[in-house]
Amino acid sequence: MSATPKRPQPLRRRRFLKTVASAAGAAVAAPTIIPSSALGRDGAVAPSERIVVGGIGIGRRGTYDLGCFLEQKDVQFAAVCDIKEKQRIGIKKRADEHYGNDQCAMYRDFRELLDRTDIDAVLIATGPNWHATAAMTAAKAGKDMYCEKPVTKNISQSLILAETMRRTGRVFQAGTQRRNLPHFAFACELARTGKLGKLKKVYAHPAGMQAMMSGWLPAETEPDPDVIDWDMYLGPAAWRPFNAKLLDGFNFEKGGGLVGGGVLEWGSHCVDLCQWAVDDCPPPVEYDAPKNGELVARYDNGTELIFREKGWIPLGSCPVRFEGEDGWVEAGDSGQMVLSSPELLAGRQVEEIGGYPATFHVRDFLDCVKSRRQPKGNAVAACNAHIACHAANIALHLDRQVKYDNVKNEFIDDEAANRLRSEALREPWRL
Amino acid sequence: MFSSPLRNLAKALCAALLISCTSVSLAQDTATSNEREQTLLGVLRSDAPSAEKALACKNLAIYGSSAAVDDLAKLLPDPQLSSWARTSLEAIPGPEADAALREAAGTLDGRLLIGMINSIGVRQDAAAVTTLVERLQSEDAQVAAAAAVALGKIGDEAATSALRLALKNVASSDSSPVVTSAIAEGCVLCAERRYLAGELASAIEIYDEIRAAEVPTQRMVEATRGAILSRGEDGIDLLLETFRSDEKKLRQLALATAREFPGDGLDKALAKEIVQADPPRAALIIQVMADRPDTVVLDSIVQAATQGDRQVRLSAIDALRRVGDSSCLSVLLKAAAENDEDVNQAAKDTLAELPGNDVDAKIVERLRQADGDDYSVLLHLVAQRRIDAVEDVVKALANQDATVRQTALAALGQIVSLQRLSLLIDAVKQNDGGDDLEAATKALRAACVRMPDREACAAELAAALRSARAATKTTLLEIISEVGGETALKTIYAAAMSSDPQSQDDGSRLLGKWNGVDAAPSLLAIAKSGPAEKYQVRALRGYIGLARKFPMPEPQRASMCSQAFELARRADEQRLVLDVLKLHPSLEGLGVAVKAKQVPAVRSEASQATMVIAQKLGDKGINVTELLSGQGLDPVKLEIVHAEYGADGSFKDVTKEIKQQAGNLPLIMLSSANYNSSFGGDPVPGSPKQLRIEYVINGKTGKATFKENAMILLPMPE
Repeated sequence: MSATPKRPQPLRRRRFLKTVASAAGAAVAAPTIIPSSALGRDGAVAPSERIVVGGIGIGRRGTYDLGCFLEQKDVQFAAVCDIKEKQRIGIKKRADEHYGNDQCAMYRDFRELLDRTDIDAVLIATGPNWHATAAMTAAKAGKDMYCEKPVTKNISQSLILAETMRRTGRVFQAGTQRRNLPHFAFACELARTGKLGKLKKVYAHPAGMQAMMSGWLPAETEPDPDVIDWDMYLGPAAWRPFNAKLLDGFNFEKGGGLVGGGVLEWGSHCVDLCQWAVDDCPPPVEYDAPKNGELVARYDNGTELIFREKGWIPLGSCPVRFEGEDGWVEAGDSGQMVLSSPELLAGRQVEEIGGYPATFHVRDFLDCVKSRRQPKGNAVAACNAHIACHAANIALHLDRQVKYDNVKNEFIDDEAANRLRSEALREPWRL
Repeated sequence: MFSSPLRNLAKALCAALLISCTSVSLAQDTATSNEREQTLLGVLRSDAPSAEKALACKNLAIYGSSAAVDDLAKLLPDPQLSSWARTSLEAIPGPEADAALREAAGTLDGRLLIGMINSIGVRQDAAAVTTLVERLQSEDAQVAAAAAVALGKIGDEAATSALRLALKNVASSDSSPVVTSAIAEGCVLCAERRYLAGELASAIEIYDEIRAAEVPTQRMVEATRGAILSRGEDGIDLLLETFRSDEKKLRQLALATAREFPGDGLDKALAKEIVQADPPRAALIIQVMADRPDTVVLDSIVQAATQGDRQVRLSAIDALRRVGDSSCLSVLLKAAAENDEDVNQAAKDTLAELPGNDVDAKIVERLRQADGDDYSVLLHLVAQRRIDAVEDVVKALANQDATVRQTALAALGQIVSLQRLSLLIDAVKQNDGGDDLEAATKALRAACVRMPDREACAAELAAALRSARAATKTTLLEIISEVGGETALKTIYAAAMSSDPQSQDDGSRLLGKWNGVDAAPSLLAIAKSGPAEKYQVRALRGYIGLARKFPMPEPQRASMCSQAFELARRADEQRLVLDVLKLHPSLEGLGVAVKAKQVPAVRSEASQATMVIAQKLGDKGINVTELLSGQGLDPVKLEIVHAEYGADGSFKDVTKEIKQQAGNLPLIMLSSANYNSSFGGDPVPGSPKQLRIEYVINGKTGKATFKENAMILLPMPE
């Protein structure tokens, strides 16, 4: 950096605007794609104008997401699918209480939910094992979808996901809700629009740089499928016997094969923001082996994407930092950001929203369901960010540098790395 | 049979829920690929457990060659290992793997057969077309569907011909909807391949065949998209026709496809279409037009924004935010003055972001000639767009209309520089008790907190304090505290220690909620020798709050806590200190908590804090026995008999989890403060839950019940 940071200045004193709607004209806030009244989402919404939503795999995270959907007046949550009976009953109870009826249908097999022609969109909040397969099955069934992250288990799935969404014309929103939070959006805008000068480095927190894989634990008695459907839980993952410890859907088969895990967990958020900072260009072309808690990747133009475990300004989880020749910005989940100079604000006001709420991201998705625009966390953006994470994991697994060709979508002269791009799905599942 | 590293690796896979692949990676093994392959094949050929064979398959996906194919093929009929083997076979290059999959596809059935077909599709094995075509006729609809999609992925002439023929026959055959849909999907894939290769005529032919067939709506959607794009400019008519479709999914498709359609021909067509379309569709089409900024027909959007259906106008006004320019100013300003709240707000929002280099200059031009409602709208725009027009805005401060004056003040809040800050300071001082005081105060605050040089800003405000009246002083001090920094801190401390009661109150209040550890010395000084006891207490609480809230070295935090505890004359503040110590456990803090047990009023809380800290430190492997010795916290012999968690008669046995966390203190710290997380999920979603524990401490039996997420401190049994 040519400019020495002047005075890192937390923006916590700059609290101005309390609602995103009121900030729309200021600097950075969740965009109003079409005036709300034009889309019929303020005030009472006629049943015929509502977006009918079904939920697939509504556990802890899904329950939170569901809350974000239920608070939207133009949403009618009509059905829940979960492989666990207890979850199905709990979510139905919540939805029925919300609407004051008993009409939320329950399914064990999500294909039955997808067969319903009245359902427009689905919330997919299964564990990451299922995300891509469920998303593509939903797209082929003509549903739009909000799909939690990490979205894919490998590079091949990432590419097929983007391709499938394009071909089917469905609206896909990855659960990368930080794209719809003002301070992250502003930080990315500074980087993307050259306000930091020529961009040199973008930093992402991977939340652990150890690749993980799910195991094959000793067999336990398989429960009644009506209570826990083990076969559907495994879904596209290779077979293994039932063991209750594997029912931790958050971690099960995250990244699938030998190379999933840490870099993918927060990477699918933080790298996604870094991708936005570099204007959603194709992912880096070189990935070094990790060293001293850092894994350095390089974009085609020389900008470095650095997965870094330590050295962050304490701004909460999922921090990112963008460094250009003329300045830098760092932001995290506290809702705050630190700038190399307050002049970067240029008099603008940035709303601080901590705690990474998904409300605005859900709203963005619903608006795009109506307008058919591409939402912030669209499939192409998610594909690029996930490829960066998967490629980094492959470098981590092989413990050496790998080089990626963004046109051919393959590693250059590297058979071992190329073989880690994909993995078979257990029968009968396919993409 | 195989090397010990691999044996260990396989054991680890069996033993752990999640294991580190870096620790088990073969990547660092110096063996050649061939040696690795032989080792892995040794596992497959042995009587090793399935878990070991599964992992060997995973690694053969990297290190396997055609030499591994036979051994892998033997696993394909095994329901447990079939997909593990396919992971390798999908990855291993060469015809041998293709042949193995084809052969298995000839002998297997049901789900296993579907797996083979899916893998053949992934490998795009053209030699399998004949086999797949036969499978199109399978009585098992899922097998036939898999074959259709696999043929689509292969997509060569033979596969395409077979799928097109099957598509023609769907109407006359009794094929299931699943198979029909899959045949259409296969055809779409074949057409897509030709479209991307530039074989447009061929692609169009296939897309049109799908559109003419009786296929599910989503397949129709995909085919229509392809048919439009493959036709180029000739596809515009089909696109417009699709816009007008009665089928919602097709209308949605048109909106998306129009955004990716190349050239400017479509923009002209859309401009005509919005005039004919019903309002809801016109509103959506206008949004599409705005997403084609390079070729948009702006006049049509401006026209739609000017008059007509309200929904269409709102969409058009919003669209101008992305594609408008200074030529749209008049229309938007007029809309901004309308009575319809949605319309005028939409117009104001768009004006705030209207693109164009000359927009700001034209707004200033209009400001100079403005009066009435326009005046306020333009002043507001100056503020929103942060146009450097201070002199023009200052003139409005003398306007007789209070709305104009107050809007001008708000605008100055957004645009004045430090050099002109006195404008707003004077406005606050001169309006003491006046109509514009609130607006002036808001504006001054807005200006001050955005000043790059906050020390200079605070100095300017501090200077203004000297000549300010009492109420204004309070306002200025509040703003100074929001500015922050060294000068602000000194100024507020001086106020707190002054002889003026109002300033004492203001100063101690503002320091008490200061957002930085830099206020600690000032707060401590006031806590010790502030002008009144109530201010001393307030400062002490602020001081404790800093220790609680901010990151700092633990010895420093413990020192702050110690000083605060010594200064505290009331149990309330002493308890606050103990809470901080529990929140940030450290050896130094443990010493403070132990010492606090000497104070009778908080002895119980201090004991509890001591245990919490000791437990947390113990969890980190820090030996606290010596420090605890003689403090009435000698380790106990704790045995958990039974524990259950739940509600409404539905309880889950969590004895094992509680036992795992039990140590030699009557305090149990779970892995997470959230019981649901610690106990593997919510046993009764939506209901308030309880944790019940039966235990024995030093030979005496006890029972305790805790509310969800409460701290688990087991009472000493009688």
